[in-house]
Amino acid sequence: MAKLKREEWYDLTRATNWTPKYVTEEELFPEEMSGSRGIPAEVWETYDEPYKVVYSEYVETQREKDAGAYSVKAALERSQYVENADPGWVSTMVAHYGAIPLAEYAASTAEARMARFAKAPGNRNMAVFGMMDENRHGQIQLYFPHAYTKLSRQWDWASKAYHTNEWAAIAARSFFDDAMMTRDSVAVSIMLTFAFETGFTNMQFLGLAADAAQAGDHTFASLISSIQTDESRHAQQGGPSLKILIANGKKEEAQTMVDAAIWRAWKLFSALTGPAMDYYTPMEHRSQSFKEFMEEWIIAQFERQLIDLGLDKPWYWDILIRDLDITHHGMHMGIWYWRPTVWWNPAAGFGPKEREWLEEKYPGWNETFGECADVIVDNLLNGRPELTGPETLPTVCNMCQLPIVGVPGSKWDVKDYQLEYEGRLYHFGSEVDKWCFEIDPERYKGHLNFIDRFLAGHVQPPDLMGGLQYMGLAPGEMGDDAHGYEWVKAYSQPKTDAA
Amino acid sequence: MALFPIHSNFERDFVIQLVPVDTDDTMDQVAEKCAHHSLNRRVKPQPGKILRVRRHCDGEIFPRDMTVASAGLRPTETLDIIFSDN
Repeated sequence: MAKLKREEWYDLTRATNWTPKYVTEEELFPEEMSGSRGIPAEVWETYDEPYKVVYSEYVETQREKDAGAYSVKAALERSQYVENADPGWVSTMVAHYGAIPLAEYAASTAEARMARFAKAPGNRNMAVFGMMDENRHGQIQLYFPHAYTKLSRQWDWASKAYHTNEWAAIAARSFFDDAMMTRDSVAVSIMLTFAFETGFTNMQFLGLAADAAQAGDHTFASLISSIQTDESRHAQQGGPSLKILIANGKKEEAQTMVDAAIWRAWKLFSALTGPAMDYYTPMEHRSQSFKEFMEEWIIAQFERQLIDLGLDKPWYWDILIRDLDITHHGMHMGIWYWRPTVWWNPAAGFGPKEREWLEEKYPGWNETFGECADVIVDNLLNGRPELTGPETLPTVCNMCQLPIVGVPGSKWDVKDYQLEYEGRLYHFGSEVDKWCFEIDPERYKGHLNFIDRFLAGHVQPPDLMGGLQYMGLAPGEMGDDAHGYEWVKAYSQPKTDAA
Repeated sequence: MALFPIHSNFERDFVIQLVPVDTDDTMDQVAEKCAHHSLNRRVKPQPGKILRVRRHCDGEIFPRDMTVASAGLRPTETLDIIFSDN
């Protein structure tokens, strides 16, 4: 019997809405889970997913993807790539594996919420595949680093990070809990799949895949390319939701969700991806600077998508563009300075040659962040290593949960956006972080950032060792300079003219 | 006399930091405690200059001998520590 073509039956089979008989529509699709925002079910039925796939096609493709990534891993296992790789690149992988797999696993429950509660049948159908995607991403990114736990306990943070109160883990959880774990299904489709995945997973997965290939890490490159192809499919769930909201008088609410999610994702990536791209990845293997990636993937492409959908540029776009020259440098310097508090070994990335690269990509780096680096280098060269480590905590933003940083040196410009709300003084790293809080103070006011916890007596004893213990960082896990400070030697060597 | 947490925004540094001070500390002592976490760590000393304490939110510069208790600070308020000629 001849099979019908997919396009001849697809629309019919995914039109799975029905008139409930035993429960009310409100009971079947509770508003807090569905988030239909008063838009009737028949309107949600017009949701038209741009990427159509059915189960048999899905499993066939996914099987091929898994077979590809796992066979590259098996084939290259004996090459001992990780054992011989530049420690800066190893740090990029260790940081990535701690920050990503369990967030992916959590994302499968966010997808499951859409799969069950979205009033749009097309959204439900797509989200079933998205749920399976994210489950695969969680599993594969736990399996790959597990092979390296024999080399260092830091690799085990792939499984461990999200179960700790390590500060970067708190920051990542704060964002993902906000954007995908505690939102209705329409908000998830917009904040997770449209704002975060369309823009920022491209940064993490395409950007790092390019750097990985340049660095000869074909296992990591094939793994994350296999993930990215899933992301680019299920990231398309948000667009049709936005179209429906805009067409039904909900543009302002849609714009607010997009703006808040983009900003929060940006801040997280400024701490996790920015340092990896501009400081940890060996200079010769960098395909583009973090700023160049941001300009290409977020500023140019994402902005175009927003306009095409009928949304506006976020109100803070100029602030974001300005911060591309600032924020991730501050995050990097903070992570390096507070290096015992992370599960990876940050590469300093400010040796003499790297500084030339930084000055070229970020004109003015030497007279700003370079001034701080000068003092650090001077201390290392002159036997004062104790001054290159912390004796207190950085002030942490009450929205992004990351240190409050700004421009140092001759152009000093570091600001704390303070807000007193119901008798409590909150601190924010930017006007936009403060705005995110002010959208819905009830949602955020109870959260304690790391400093709040410290001051509330949660960290005992109240010192660096107590802090490390609170964060779950044991000896052998806490970070140190990736290259064992070898890079400092380049500063003590006399300069020679290039031949 | 009681422990009082403030946030130190030290001139030419890249990050704001938590610094515990005492309610009896003068502003000169506050500046010194903040300097411990920035100066010679990431900020070069400026010979001939003194450090002054400024309220971050409104730019009010406190007298050098004013105490924390009498400055009307809120716990965890952010203070700028700036290099000054006098």
